[in-house]
Amino acid sequence: MTHRDPSEDILHESESIAESAQAVAGPPPEPRKLVGSRARRIARNAFIAIPLILLVIWTVLPFLVTLSVSFKHKADVFANPGLIPTSPTLNAYREVLSSESFTTSFVNSVIVGTGTTFLTLLIGVPAAYAFARFRFRGRHLLLLFTLIPRLVPSLGLMIPIYRMAVFAGQLDKRSTLIIVYTAMLLPLAVWLMVGFFQSIPREIEEAATVDGATLWGRLRYIVAPLAAPAMITIGVLAFREAWNEFTLVLVLTNTPGKRTLPFELYQMQGIEGIANFPGEAAFTILTILPFVLLYTRVEKYVVAGVVSGSGK
Amino acid sequence: MTTATKPKAGTKQWWRRTGPPGGDSNALIGQNKATPYLFSLPAIVLVAAFLGFPVLWGVWQSLYRKPSLGAAADWVGLENYRDLFSSDEFWHSLNRTTVFVVGSVVLGTVLGLFFAFALFRIVGRLRFLRAVTVSPYIVSNVAAAVMFRILFNGQFGTVNQILGWFGIDGPSWLADPALAMVVVIFTQVWTDLPLTILLLLGGLMILDKAYLEAALVDGATGWTRSRYVTIPLLAPQLMISTVWLSYSTLTGLGVVLALTGGGPLKSTQTMAMEMYTTAFRNLRFNEALALATFILILNAFLTMGYVLIGRRYEYES
Repeated sequence: MTHRDPSEDILHESESIAESAQAVAGPPPEPRKLVGSRARRIARNAFIAIPLILLVIWTVLPFLVTLSVSFKHKADVFANPGLIPTSPTLNAYREVLSSESFTTSFVNSVIVGTGTTFLTLLIGVPAAYAFARFRFRGRHLLLLFTLIPRLVPSLGLMIPIYRMAVFAGQLDKRSTLIIVYTAMLLPLAVWLMVGFFQSIPREIEEAATVDGATLWGRLRYIVAPLAAPAMITIGVLAFREAWNEFTLVLVLTNTPGKRTLPFELYQMQGIEGIANFPGEAAFTILTILPFVLLYTRVEKYVVAGVVSGSGK
Repeated sequence: MTTATKPKAGTKQWWRRTGPPGGDSNALIGQNKATPYLFSLPAIVLVAAFLGFPVLWGVWQSLYRKPSLGAAADWVGLENYRDLFSSDEFWHSLNRTTVFVVGSVVLGTVLGLFFAFALFRIVGRLRFLRAVTVSPYIVSNVAAAVMFRILFNGQFGTVNQILGWFGIDGPSWLADPALAMVVVIFTQVWTDLPLTILLLLGGLMILDKAYLEAALVDGATGWTRSRYVTIPLLAPQLMISTVWLSYSTLTGLGVVLALTGGGPLKSTQTMAMEMYTTAFRNLRFNEALALATFILILNAFLTMGYVLIGRRYEYES
């Protein structure tokens, strides 16, 4: 089983589709142009542009609306429902940033997110390396045991994991969240990393071995640098999961000091009798923003990683 | 590793090879035998303990019942399931789930196809728009719920403002039992669409172009080509995206819980919500596990169904 980077295939294929379409269609575009008037060209452009505009609206409008409300005064939300705030204010942000519920849950989210990321890499990468590089008894079966649980929806885990945590006295602990999230992410991490490791030519490592490199030397100076983009992808996916996960943190924590951001935001909606829309909106934006900053730096790896993982 | 020489083919001792079939073509020289096990063990143990075991334990516990809170659980066999199937709440939630799943799969597939085709046309500037398309992926279910509650607000929501341009008096969506589900479906699809689009776009890009060329030569263009050539060729990706949308809505709790909590008047009380309510509000864990098991089994059957249907529409290669 040789692994190829699917994104390369996609690029290559789309080029050759364009080429062969040209080869088949050949000259025809010219007579068309003679018949087709300016209006027709505009119509064709519109045919391409309108779906794209709809796509951007569909994706971006919820963000814009939330951003807009977050800059409004509470009274303005109803009085001036327009997208552009008439008297923009940072009140909601000030209010959220100074509230203990936000700062505490933010710190919790950072701790749980980083913990999950590191634990997933620490456990997932060596496992994937073993499955990709070593031949050992039962490796196919063991790999299957690691991957199949990925099919289990977290809904099926909610009650059992809660009961286990109660039984072990591990309820309401950040470490419990980190371990559970890591377990949920490991199948995906191993799956993606096995593919990446298989795509690194074995000869490089063998050459290093001949030159006297030990296993650790190879891992440190050859494998780790080559696998860095894949590890970044998995790190981001792990962080995202821990940052956004809601239903498990809902049942595994119960005191305000241990909640992560999604739970705190949910709580905020529930507690306030009259909805504080600017506050909720600002909280939402502040939940998304840190991840956006992280994500934009590594986005290209993640898209390639998700495509390569799901395409197989 | 003393037997460095390979046994000759045909000798009777071929099964005494040190390695599994295929030789050690993939092994590295000078490896300790225990190393791969040491490397993979933590992952296997963690997955087994926190994913494999809980599910099996959950299924097992669905066969027990506690007469009262805090009492020891009694073995009741399939009684939890019998009670489940004879309760009105179950059939109501199954009905709601059906609407939710069918609505999300249809809307998600239609929008996914539409947007994938749109993105496929522009190869050069693809990178920028792809990044925009994926952005809902970074939003948590709760945050998406807040965003859509603002978007669909009855008094100041943007959706109602747009409806107002056409002279339509927008309803208060989330307070209306008939309309709340619409908002839930839109929110769920919004969070799930990035992966759907990426899947279908990937499918479009690796299409066997010979079919498209043949269709072009035969004069099939536009809608005809999409309907009779491209979409059937996309059957594998459509199947995967249907499996994904269906899985994510059938077992999805976050969006419903954060957006409506099952209301108004239980109109969005899906099976996932019913499971949550039974377990964590009524504290009847064993009964809830019976429902959870039912959802898992239903999910498995639906997935198999999609795969079989997808196979039928796939072109013979």
